[in-house]
Amino acid sequence: MWKLIVRRTLITIPQIIVLSILVFILAQAMPGDALTGLIDPSIDPATIEAMRERLGLNNPWYVQYFEWVKGVLQGDFGQSFRFKMPVSELIGERIINTMWLSLATLVLTYLIAIPLGIISGRFNDTWLDRAITGYTYIGFAAPLFIFALVMLFIFGFQLAWFPTSGSVAPGTEPGTFAYFISKLNHLLLPALSMALITTVSTVQYLRSEIIDTKQKDFIVTARAKGASESRVYNRHVLRNSLLPIAAFFGYEITGLIGGTIFIENIFGYPGMGELFLSSISLRDYSVMTALVLLFGLAAIIGALLSDIILSLVDPRIRIK
Amino acid sequence: MPKNKWSRHLALPMLSFVLILAACTGDDTSTEESGGETGTDGGQELENGGMYSIDDFSNVKTNEGEAIDGGTITFGLVSDTVFEGTLNWNFYSGAPDAEILEWFDEGLLTWDENYVYTNDGAATYEVSEDGRTFTFKIGDNVNWHDGEPVTAEDWLFAHEVIGNPDYDGPRYNSDFTNIEGMEEYNSGSADTISGIEVIDDKTLSITYIESTPSLLTGSIWSYPLAKHIFGDMSVADISSSPEVRENPIGFGPFKVDSIVPGESVTLTKNEDYWRGEPNLDGVTIKVISSSTVVQELETGGVDLISEFPVDQFPDNAEMSNVEYLGAIDRAYTYIGFKLGTWDAESNTVAYDPEAKMNDVALRQAMWHAVDNATVGERFYNGLRWNATTLIPPSHPEFHDDSNEGRTYDPEAANQLLEDAGYVDTDGDGLREDPEGNPLEINFISMTGGDTAEPLAQYYVQSWEAVGLKVNLEMLEFNSFYDRVGNGGEDDPTVDVFQAAWGVGIDVDPSGLYGANAIYNFARWENEDNERLLAEGRSAESFDLAYRQEVYNEWQQLMVDEVPVFPTLYRAVLSPVNDRVLNYAIGDGTEVYLNELAVSAESPVTAK
Repeated sequence: MWKLIVRRTLITIPQIIVLSILVFILAQAMPGDALTGLIDPSIDPATIEAMRERLGLNNPWYVQYFEWVKGVLQGDFGQSFRFKMPVSELIGERIINTMWLSLATLVLTYLIAIPLGIISGRFNDTWLDRAITGYTYIGFAAPLFIFALVMLFIFGFQLAWFPTSGSVAPGTEPGTFAYFISKLNHLLLPALSMALITTVSTVQYLRSEIIDTKQKDFIVTARAKGASESRVYNRHVLRNSLLPIAAFFGYEITGLIGGTIFIENIFGYPGMGELFLSSISLRDYSVMTALVLLFGLAAIIGALLSDIILSLVDPRIRIK
Repeated sequence: MPKNKWSRHLALPMLSFVLILAACTGDDTSTEESGGETGTDGGQELENGGMYSIDDFSNVKTNEGEAIDGGTITFGLVSDTVFEGTLNWNFYSGAPDAEILEWFDEGLLTWDENYVYTNDGAATYEVSEDGRTFTFKIGDNVNWHDGEPVTAEDWLFAHEVIGNPDYDGPRYNSDFTNIEGMEEYNSGSADTISGIEVIDDKTLSITYIESTPSLLTGSIWSYPLAKHIFGDMSVADISSSPEVRENPIGFGPFKVDSIVPGESVTLTKNEDYWRGEPNLDGVTIKVISSSTVVQELETGGVDLISEFPVDQFPDNAEMSNVEYLGAIDRAYTYIGFKLGTWDAESNTVAYDPEAKMNDVALRQAMWHAVDNATVGERFYNGLRWNATTLIPPSHPEFHDDSNEGRTYDPEAANQLLEDAGYVDTDGDGLREDPEGNPLEINFISMTGGDTAEPLAQYYVQSWEAVGLKVNLEMLEFNSFYDRVGNGGEDDPTVDVFQAAWGVGIDVDPSGLYGANAIYNFARWENEDNERLLAEGRSAESFDLAYRQEVYNEWQQLMVDEVPVFPTLYRAVLSPVNDRVLNYAIGDGTEVYLNELAVSAESPVTAK
């Protein structure tokens, strides 16, 4: 068991190195840099060139890469050109917002997915099941960013139930109860918009697991032994169907990353996704590379988590 | 309201930025907009033909109702990114930061509608006989938000910081190197700036090397830096210090109360403001995205905004709870011809008489071939319109109204080409060059927004209509400027390009069209041009009539020679909630933020 986890963890190290090199090469291949936008006749081109030199933008990519790795190993991601502050501080500011958003989305996703999946699986081929699968088809088909805009329009602007931008009301004192409520209030609509879309795969997955499990021999045996229907579902079917869902959890995290990039931009929610898009368009390299690395890490760790959970719940994986 | 001589560094990155983001999230906005268009345009078309004119807009808000005591307003910072948070005039580089700075800090000098410094700002000035030495007197009641007086020492300190080699902001430019002793100070060979003298607490004198009329239109750095706060810091640390990012200070009508990084700022009034106590109790500034700006305005989520996306105007012209203010933007779109390359050795333009586009008749014909009036109507509902000369009407003193540029006239275009020897020799309907070789012109333009590509295609078709074969390539902002020669390495395959300039408050165009200017992307050199540009910033040009004459002649020269030609001028629109009183956009309106007031506790919402 431990051997597998250690081995699986070791594999992620080359993955991360390859990822970081790829990110660097790709960033280098992009035309322009942070100073391209500084088109201003009153600034001497020599000054711009000197800034470029000072920022190390003229060095070949591998020199920049090793400089960067050296910094990263010491916990220093460099300075954001645009924000004029250390990247680690900048990300620190934003990561909290994104973490709350992701957490809220995950909670909402499972709150919606599990009951729907169970109902749908237990009563398959009833009108209730058809309604739920209908919803999942729409969910699969609807692009997240359009759905989010519709949600924003209806609940944010038409009904005015939720704030439409930012992560907290301006001027709220941090640490107070009002601050917490305001944060929560700003979080709910984006999180719900994302959860309603991301939940559909889990619903479908759970549904087919349940349908699959309830025809298994041991369920038939349980029924034959006279177990009540609710006992059959709660003790036998559900337990066996939920385990693969738990394994799915790691991949859920990966999905969230892509989702937050859209959601944060639409809701003007200052998290990492929002930071990511703007750092790309402004060629704020230090921020961009740090974020890709973080996103990549999250994806790799998510996959690792899933594998570990899976190996815990499914003994067949361990035997190799 | 950018404060330095040239504001291009604001306009261009911002433009690029909006465009790129529009491309990323293009699908959602375009769906929304096209849906709206089909739904509502029909009705409007009946009323006004869907056409608007900047002449119908005022830049000053009509006041309705009585001002109430106090009250607060919300200002929407329309931006698809968060603001950077470098909240000091001496260091900021993003336009959103400047929008926030406007509320709590200001320059010591103000200017009139012709962008000439006036003597009714926080400081007054006197010019010496030779026009080189300026003596400034800061008002006695001008104090920082913490109560300390704004002193001559602070003003000198701002110059010392910007001139310091460790300075990491974008301000050190020809305005500074024109100060006596600045270059010595910058290179470290002098400890002080010999041209700047503190006469007493509130009096400062600055001596410039060269006297030019540009000094009076934005070349004086008028933003002091609080020495009692920043004096002990090392210059390299100031821009990232908490005193810039978290607790910024100024001497403007409002004080910063709290900042949520990147998303909002709350301000309270500065009772000690030198123009008098502000009417409002406070202001909240929050970032809103351009896709939700209309809803924010309709629901009263914001009272004022920084910039309205003009392409959303036709659908929302009838919004019932706002008044649209309008002004002419200090910007123009243009088409440029590549006439040479950049010589990095000597830092000058290397004009190439053999270049493909180097037949003036060909360039003139290409201007005659495009119908910019129609482009403005079809693509921008009249909110951009036909440009005539390279000094836009946002500078009414210098824009030559009588100069019509080159009007749309395909006949004339054909004639010009015919006479210059561009004729179709092989009968394929396309002209060959005078030597009889096939003529293919490579045209590049920037992506972004829904209209970028159709617009570029329109130009290609117009040129084809007069028999010119033009190949279009659409490029993203960074690639575009790479190939145009932003860094001095021009792509030789580019012949024609479409771009835009935001122009500074000083009218002097030498930074764009001088032979030593790297931003002279056309790489064009001309004796008359150099002479006129030099005359325009000579001491004689302090005489307004003389300077006007020089620039009229220059505008005509550019119409004759066509190294580049302007295509469109632009409008800026600013919707303002009905309850807002005493507000204006643009320069020299003499409406100040301390007078801003509201006539109701909460914003008017749309019916």
